[in-house]
Amino acid sequence: MKILIKKGKIVNFDGIREADILIHNSKIVQISKDIKEKVDEEIDAQGKFILPGLIDIHTHLRTPGREDEEDLLSASKSAAKGGFTTIMCMPNTEPAIDNYGLAEWIVKEAEKIGIVDIYPIGAITKERKGEELTEFGALKKAGCLALSDDGNSIKDTYLLRRALEYAKMFDILIISHCEDKSLSSEGAMRESFLSSKYGIKGIPYISESIVVFRDIELACYLNARIHLAHISTKRSVEIIKQAKEKGVKVSCETAPHYFILSTEDIEKNNFSSLFKVNPPLQEKEDVEAIKEALASDIIDCIATDHAPHSKAEKELSFEEAPFGFIGLELAFSLTYTYLVKKNILNLKDLVKKMSYTPAKILGLKDKGYIKEENIADLAIVDLGSRWRVTEENLLSKSKNTPFLGYELEAEVIYTIHKGKIVYKKSG
Amino acid sequence: MRWDKKHLLGIKELSCEEIETIFEAANSFRELSQREVKKAPALRGKTVINLFFESSTRTRTSFELAAKRLSADVLNFSASSSSLTKGESIVDTIKNLESYHPDILVIRISQSASLYDLSKYTNASIVNAGDGCNEHPTQALLDMFTVREIKKTLRNLKVLIVGDILHSRVARSNIFGFQKFSSHIKVCGPPTLIPYEFEKLGVEIFYDLDKAIKDCDVIIFLRIQKERQKVSFFPTLREYVENFSLTVERAKRLKEDCLVLHPGPVNWDIEITSQLKDKLHPLILKQVENGLAIRMAVLYLVGTVK
Repeated sequence: MKILIKKGKIVNFDGIREADILIHNSKIVQISKDIKEKVDEEIDAQGKFILPGLIDIHTHLRTPGREDEEDLLSASKSAAKGGFTTIMCMPNTEPAIDNYGLAEWIVKEAEKIGIVDIYPIGAITKERKGEELTEFGALKKAGCLALSDDGNSIKDTYLLRRALEYAKMFDILIISHCEDKSLSSEGAMRESFLSSKYGIKGIPYISESIVVFRDIELACYLNARIHLAHISTKRSVEIIKQAKEKGVKVSCETAPHYFILSTEDIEKNNFSSLFKVNPPLQEKEDVEAIKEALASDIIDCIATDHAPHSKAEKELSFEEAPFGFIGLELAFSLTYTYLVKKNILNLKDLVKKMSYTPAKILGLKDKGYIKEENIADLAIVDLGSRWRVTEENLLSKSKNTPFLGYELEAEVIYTIHKGKIVYKKSG
Repeated sequence: MRWDKKHLLGIKELSCEEIETIFEAANSFRELSQREVKKAPALRGKTVINLFFESSTRTRTSFELAAKRLSADVLNFSASSSSLTKGESIVDTIKNLESYHPDILVIRISQSASLYDLSKYTNASIVNAGDGCNEHPTQALLDMFTVREIKKTLRNLKVLIVGDILHSRVARSNIFGFQKFSSHIKVCGPPTLIPYEFEKLGVEIFYDLDKAIKDCDVIIFLRIQKERQKVSFFPTLREYVENFSLTVERAKRLKEDCLVLHPGPVNWDIEITSQLKDKLHPLILKQVENGLAIRMAVLYLVGTVK
């Protein structure tokens, strides 16, 4: 199969240039002006931008266990529509992804579906109980690029120390969800003036930063790598900045809602459960700090933290409903609309945060950068188009997003994965 | 008379004028309850459902009687939230009851601030009978109504609220209510039971009851939930009583005309010493009587709004 993409503007983290791209089988074989070649499919990308396929370092695919909320097929379609060609899924499934068999099954199933690459994030401890380590080597062999106990932030500092040390042997990334559960327990929104005013149980911002600090201290002490999930507060950013200046091997991500929404949006929307997420939406000064940290590269990646929930679950009241938003189909347009259009990042930075750096952190050598010989994972986007977020136009099985009704700018029109068109905008 | 609100979800959303309107109506309904025939046809043909997802006898009874004295048809629906989470959801329960075309749903629920969003699932008016730790508007209205009756005004009073402010919907509703009339609010309790950044609400915070009670025109003692002790809000009930109970000693230092209110039922010898029972109980019972009038007024106003 040969595909020729004509006249698109190719965006890498370090530059933009107009050229044609020739794809043969799964690889990019040629990038240059005016390629003439007999191909199976030619795409006219004049006026459009071509990004390296986006890489999501943090999703929840509910498989196995809650396939009614998302399964590997619906997740793959949803990802492709959002311009993602590689996604990593957290092990908070039922049962947890804590062994070779299950991890390998997910990779193989995703390959069979063939829309995007799905790499599971294996659990650090068996059943994510925070007691005994899993077999890191076996999980890596099965296809895990990283390990995490996800929402079960590891309480036992000694155990996390051992995990960080042991992970060095396989050079596998440890991802930490930073939350002191004893501080945040039963909380539903950021502890704040608003939570106090409405009597809603609060999650103090320090429940994130206390663990950020602990994890950084461990990584520094052990000279180990650590990646911090969904950073949301100003204070966490300050601690991470200091650590990076000192040379600690720490990387981190945030998610679009943390640079767009704040506690006030919860009040404005009548405490709709669609606005409940963990970490919670923070204060306006945190939103500003997250934007600054993205611009100054303190925050390395933008992930979705895609968290599908059924309609019935999100009909529960704000205090009872489960945490989380879907994000695969929204992350690119949200980032473009709220960061690029507002001159906080440029398009190259977007590519850096959503493809180049995640690939680097995960050790995906032939992804995240558009060049000859690399895997042909691409997203072609139309920056001039606008679209409205509605339940009907989301491919995810779940529709829980606070951005329903938003009009967003920029849209993915083609997604190409391993040299195959896996998504094409209709009409 | 000005009233155009379909729901009564909280005091936050009310203006002084609307509060006065409720008081005016309550005045006339209180008189009705003193007549031989205690019934008016104001809500005849209307259906009121008391939907209590959290156990309550006093508030539910008060609402039930209020609706009956206004000639409404009343249905009581009680269900604990825990059994609901296993089976039917609250949204489904409301949609089910919607099939009966009720006019007013009086709802008590344990989840704070959950009624704002729930109102989109029903055509009926919703009256908040307590939503978690957020608001209990009719309680605050009856407290204010009682104070206004005796003090003849709600303006520029010094109002102190004592106890578990953190978990109290009564405290929040009273704060929003009295503040609308430019009254000064003080809250007093152990720091563990004062909400985060509460000073931003414009209230003065005290941990020392002896200092807090000085110059107060009104003191509202909140009922303490004994189980809070188990989750480290305070070590023992004994120490709580020592610091936050109204004793004979403390009562002597109150202004002569200071009103002592309590949303009831009083844990005697915990919030207030029973030695003061004879002196203080009559006003607390007066609150109950006023509560009925306030609830009649609220049901009438939301039930007849065009």
